[in-house]
Formats: sequence, structure tokens, C-alpha cells
Amino acid sequence: MAEVSATVSWLMKFDINAIVKSKEAFRLRLAALPVAEKLRLLDAMRERAVTIRGANPTEPRGVREEPSRYGSQRREADE
Amino acid sequence: MNIQGVFEMLNRMEADGLISRYAIGGAVAATFYLEPVSTLDVDVFIAFKAQPESIIISPHQIFDYLQKFGCKMEGEHVVISGWPVQFLPPTGPLIEEALARAVEVDIEGIPARVFTAEYLAAIALQTGRAKDKARLLQFIEANALDSSRFEEIVNRRGLGRQWQKFQQQFLGS
Repeated sequence: MAEVSATVSWLMKFDINAIVKSKEAFRLRLAALPVAEKLRLLDAMRERAVTIRGANPTEPRGVREEPSRYGSQRREADE
Repeated sequence: MNIQGVFEMLNRMEADGLISRYAIGGAVAATFYLEPVSTLDVDVFIAFKAQPESIIISPHQIFDYLQKFGCKMEGEHVVISGWPVQFLPPTGPLIEEALARAVEVDIEGIPARVFTAEYLAAIALQTGRAKDKARLLQFIEANALDSSRFEEIVNRRGLGRQWQKFQQQFLGS
């Protein structure tokens, strides 16, 4: 058990600041990819979403999200 | 499944005179400036050609046209190249302006017209759902906005109060 925790602490650093920084750097690297490459990633993500949806017949087929209300000014009460 | 097939179809619709102008909005347009995020559909804003005999143009014309290319309807979407596409008319002056000032980007030889980052951010501010606010933050954090251009749009379109509130809430200013 001691060996396991030694390995884990060697592999992973639970420094939240380092984790946040590394995530930010990864997001920036992704954002800097050529547009065509990013669009291929969108294709791949959609492909995966469709596969996951198809694999679970008990779930409704159509994934729904709150539709955009483009052009509508939100009232204070909505915020 | 190929999103570039959607752009090709939109270019064809424009060339055939079915629509006078299109621009990609929503998460797909944001991908041109930010990291890609999973999305369910492609939002396409369209302007119709003015026709003297009819003020309102039925979306059926679009669906009839697309059906000839084997596209199918799925709820409020038309599926093009495996992607559900939602056609949206401009619903206010901000989106009308965003559509008029959208920019053309070449994607491996295929032109695609998209909203600029500043208009996408202003639309996100106006729409104001949680995910829109998150997107606006992404634009700011990624330094993807020309801030003077963005603030000029925000002020001109009467979004100053929302912007102030957003800054207080998320940017600590």
C-alpha cells in the first residue's frame, strides 16, 4: 500500500494551481490549432455523441437543450 | 459526418440565389476563435433575397431545396452532411449587423462565412444563458476579442448595463 501511494504521488501532483495552469495551457493549444483541424475535432465529438446516444435505447433519441433566444433582451428578473 | 459539407451546401444555396447571405453562429462559429467544444447543431443565420410578390418567405423553400440533395428533417433541424443545421432569421439589429459584417474564412479551399469574435461575444452577452456567459468568459480569457471593437458594439446596441453587470459578476470590476 505504501508503494502504491508512493507511485501515485510520484506520478500525480495534487497542486491545484499547477493543474489549472496546465488545463489553461491545453485549452490555448487547442484554440491555436488550424481551423480545419478544430472542425475535424467537432466532427469527431459529434460522431462520439451520436454513438453514445445510439447505444442507450432507453434514453430519448433527441438530445434537447434550452433553445437560444437570439435577439431577446433578458429582463432583470431572468438574471 | 463532415461539417465542411455543411459549408459547401450553404455556399451552393447562396450561389443558387435561395438565400442572399448566410453566416455561421453559435458554438461552431466560436470554434473558429476558441478551443472546440461539443455541440449538438450548427446555427446558420440567413438573409433572404427580397421578393416583390411575397414579404414573408416560407422556410419550406429551403427544405424543398435541401431535400433534393437527400437532406432530411429532424425536428426543427435539417440534417446536412450528418449535422443537424438550424436556419435562423436575424431576430434583431445586433444579429442583422453581425450577419452583414460576418467574415469569410477559407477552410482548405472551402469558403465559410462566420460571425466575428466580437459579435459572437456581444450576442452571448445579449442572449445571457449560463452557457452564453461561459462562452463570453472563454473569449475574454483566451484574449480572442478586440476589446474596443467589442465595447463599441455593446454600447451601440444598448448592452452597456448587461456588460457592466457581467464584469462585476465575473471579472471583479
